[in-house]
Amino acid sequence: MTSTLARLASGAPSRCFALAGAGAGDVGPWLRLDPSVAIVDSPRAADVLLVLGRLEGEMLHAAAAVHDAIPPPRGVVVWSPDGWSSRRWPFVDAVTVRDASEIAPACRRLRDDLFRRRLASSPDALPDLDPAPWRGVGPFGQGGAGMTGGVPYGRPLAGRADDRDGLRLDQILVRVGPFLPPFPPGLLLDVRLQGDVIQEATIPAPIADDAGASGREGPSGAPVPHGHPARLAVAADSPFTTALTRPVPIAELELARARHHLAWLAEALRVSGLEAYGLRALKLAFGLDLESAESIDALDRWLRRNVSLRWGTNRVGVVTRAQAEGLPGGPVARASGDDRDARSLDPAYQRLGFEPVVRGGGDALARWRLRVAEARQSVQLAKRSRTSESTPSGVIEDPRGPLSDDVPPSAGLVALLPALLVGMEWGDAVTTVVSLDIGVIDPAVREVTSEGTGP
Amino acid sequence: MSALGVIVAVVSVAAAAAFGAYIAAWVDIVLARAVAGVPVRPLDALIAPVSWGAAVALKARTTTERPDGETWALAPALLAALAAVGLAAAPLAPGLLAADVASGIVLFGAAMALVVVAVFLQGWSPNSPLPMIGGYRFIAEGLSYEIPLAVVLIAAALPARSLAIAPIVVSQENLWNVIRQPLGLPLYLMAALGLAFWGPLALPEGVDLAGGSSLEISGVSRILWRVAQLMVLVAVSAMGAAVFLGGWLGPLLPGAAWMIAKTLVLLVLLIGARHLVARVPTERYVIASWAILIPLSLLDVFIAGIQALVAAR
Amino acid sequence: MQGVAVTLAIFFVTMAAFLALRSAERRLSARASTAPARVPFTGGRAPDTHAWNRYHVRYYPMSLLFLAFDMEMVFMYPWAVVFVDEGLIALIEMFMFIVILLFGILYTWRERALEWA
Repeated sequence: MTSTLARLASGAPSRCFALAGAGAGDVGPWLRLDPSVAIVDSPRAADVLLVLGRLEGEMLHAAAAVHDAIPPPRGVVVWSPDGWSSRRWPFVDAVTVRDASEIAPACRRLRDDLFRRRLASSPDALPDLDPAPWRGVGPFGQGGAGMTGGVPYGRPLAGRADDRDGLRLDQILVRVGPFLPPFPPGLLLDVRLQGDVIQEATIPAPIADDAGASGREGPSGAPVPHGHPARLAVAADSPFTTALTRPVPIAELELARARHHLAWLAEALRVSGLEAYGLRALKLAFGLDLESAESIDALDRWLRRNVSLRWGTNRVGVVTRAQAEGLPGGPVARASGDDRDARSLDPAYQRLGFEPVVRGGGDALARWRLRVAEARQSVQLAKRSRTSESTPSGVIEDPRGPLSDDVPPSAGLVALLPALLVGMEWGDAVTTVVSLDIGVIDPAVREVTSEGTGP
Repeated sequence: MSALGVIVAVVSVAAAAAFGAYIAAWVDIVLARAVAGVPVRPLDALIAPVSWGAAVALKARTTTERPDGETWALAPALLAALAAVGLAAAPLAPGLLAADVASGIVLFGAAMALVVVAVFLQGWSPNSPLPMIGGYRFIAEGLSYEIPLAVVLIAAALPARSLAIAPIVVSQENLWNVIRQPLGLPLYLMAALGLAFWGPLALPEGVDLAGGSSLEISGVSRILWRVAQLMVLVAVSAMGAAVFLGGWLGPLLPGAAWMIAKTLVLLVLLIGARHLVARVPTERYVIASWAILIPLSLLDVFIAGIQALVAAR
Repeated sequence: MQGVAVTLAIFFVTMAAFLALRSAERRLSARASTAPARVPFTGGRAPDTHAWNRYHVRYYPMSLLFLAFDMEMVFMYPWAVVFVDEGLIALIEMFMFIVILLFGILYTWRERALEWA
């Protein structure tokens, strides 16, 4: 019976839950193009845990928890261009992949092997301990101290709190962990909800890795080079990192920017429920070349005509001009009317007649429109630029914001979240966070952002 | 009343529901590929629901720390049972109606009203924050689509002077309700999307909740929930075809063939809406439903009432 | 009578079939029942409290309005059957009923009771 099912199941895409850590770059979203792999939103729906990049400390513990949430038979596939995570690697028998193009076939092979019982399911990474011993007085854990009688079945019940309409009902704390799909990977957010409205959102301090190890060793025992914290938020081979120190052809930079914005659009469309159309945008991004301006135009027209998208993003998540001026720059600031763009200071761009795209409004719709407009502008700039090269100046305009040695591109955006999300319904909050396009968050990077937001 | 008749009715409704759910799954895959711009390959896609089902069935069932086990087990079964009753209320051909009651509209409305309970239980039972938010959101959505749904069905019952479905189909001999009551079918389809929590109204299962009420389920339970949802889609399509598109009426072909064709048309429309219309924001949908859709549905009743009075003169 | 019997039969048979399929699953694969497997998923960190709580159902004013319209619906069902026989007077009476309720929606909308965020 199970072998028949396994044979039938081999026709279905292998369902992977992707965790992105430092150095993962944008590999995760591109996997959606591969029909043999399905990136799922919940570990309960997954067969394979896909670890992309390097995870440290609290992220690794969370990854172990996510792994245990996957129902058996399950396996782990790891790809990390930056080297390995700390030596307290929790996964037994993880399949390691050297090259990004090998990820999808490896997931598929692992899934087939697991279903045909050729490989054993990956055992639990965390110990099987009850979360908290509960002892009430009665036979169902009831009775004892306090109105709720202690901690029934391991956890207390939520307590009450004031609300703006005068009703004192319960408020629960949802620990939006590092790996909840619509949110950027690595973002820790403690959200206090009453009903489905956020009353308070805080960014907890990351728990330091208390291994006490002086260096980090991977499974092979080789030490890991420490990248600069700011660059960890951007993929190591990204042309923007190279452009900080060396001249890079503008065509390459601008096509990379357009590709990034279209990939972001695909993810944003997926979160809005239009997964199929998002895949179309992703395909356009993958095959982007100098003649793609008309295709982007067609995409833009479709987006403008789609009233339902406007309904979900109009006047949602407004970033005021004052808040935008506190950011180092980037598309979020430009969507609120602030026209700072590091490319305006580059003589090579000035020769091309570059003007930054600016929108008023500052809501999620403005940010959507801005990114599509910037993608179109980038393709046109790339076509016009021929062989000109950017001027290295220590600051480069990454698609998410200005990147320099000290400041990561999405600096300041995470700090904006607590003020922005208060009073929002959950759906609107997710729309806002997705529209901000925060990159993979590394705890080391977070420490940089809390100290200031650069020039 | 014969036992054989009851058994035949039950078996035929079960077969129709199962077949319809499979077709709906296939249409969903085909339309997703078409909108995404990837090669459609519809014949390959025929086996895709089976592959998906096999892959999911091999997984273990998950549970959470302190769920409500009984209601969690009940939710997909209740949803499927309500969908089956809704499908049974729609006639296939002039004599072939499984649930031949005097007030088929009321039966359908009652079955669809309890869908809110089933979906809420699915979200609430795992004792997990995100599915629970999904369940409560669905109640807001459910209360909002319920009135337009019931009122446009009543409007369709006016010219037939009966709440039974067969007379409603017969009353469309001269002109289908989709033409003489133009507000009816669009409002019905919007409510139908909510009933099946599909596409723009997939609020309990939205991607923003990381799957919502489907977040904590795995294994066969996941398949059962999805099949129940597809059965609801089939049931609302069948009822819409009977009440608005003239059911079995049509030249040349036998009545059953027309009924199936019309059901498929509505099914394709509903499934396609998922790939072309974004998910609605909950609160704005509630406001729009009460401020715009309900007055429109009441206008629809008046149009139908005036037409019926004029026709009776 | 046949119709009612068939309806009830379909309802219970379908429910029983689905429940039976669900319990049959136990034979197919091992159960996931370790403590870390049971933690409700919110991204990798464990929750502080149970999710069940006195949930702030912010659409409760709308649900009161729904009750009024639900009762209107109940009255419209028999009205639809006798409407044509009763003639214009039935239409006018239902029109008055509905207009009163529509004023209710107008009031609720103006008082912004349908909004909650």
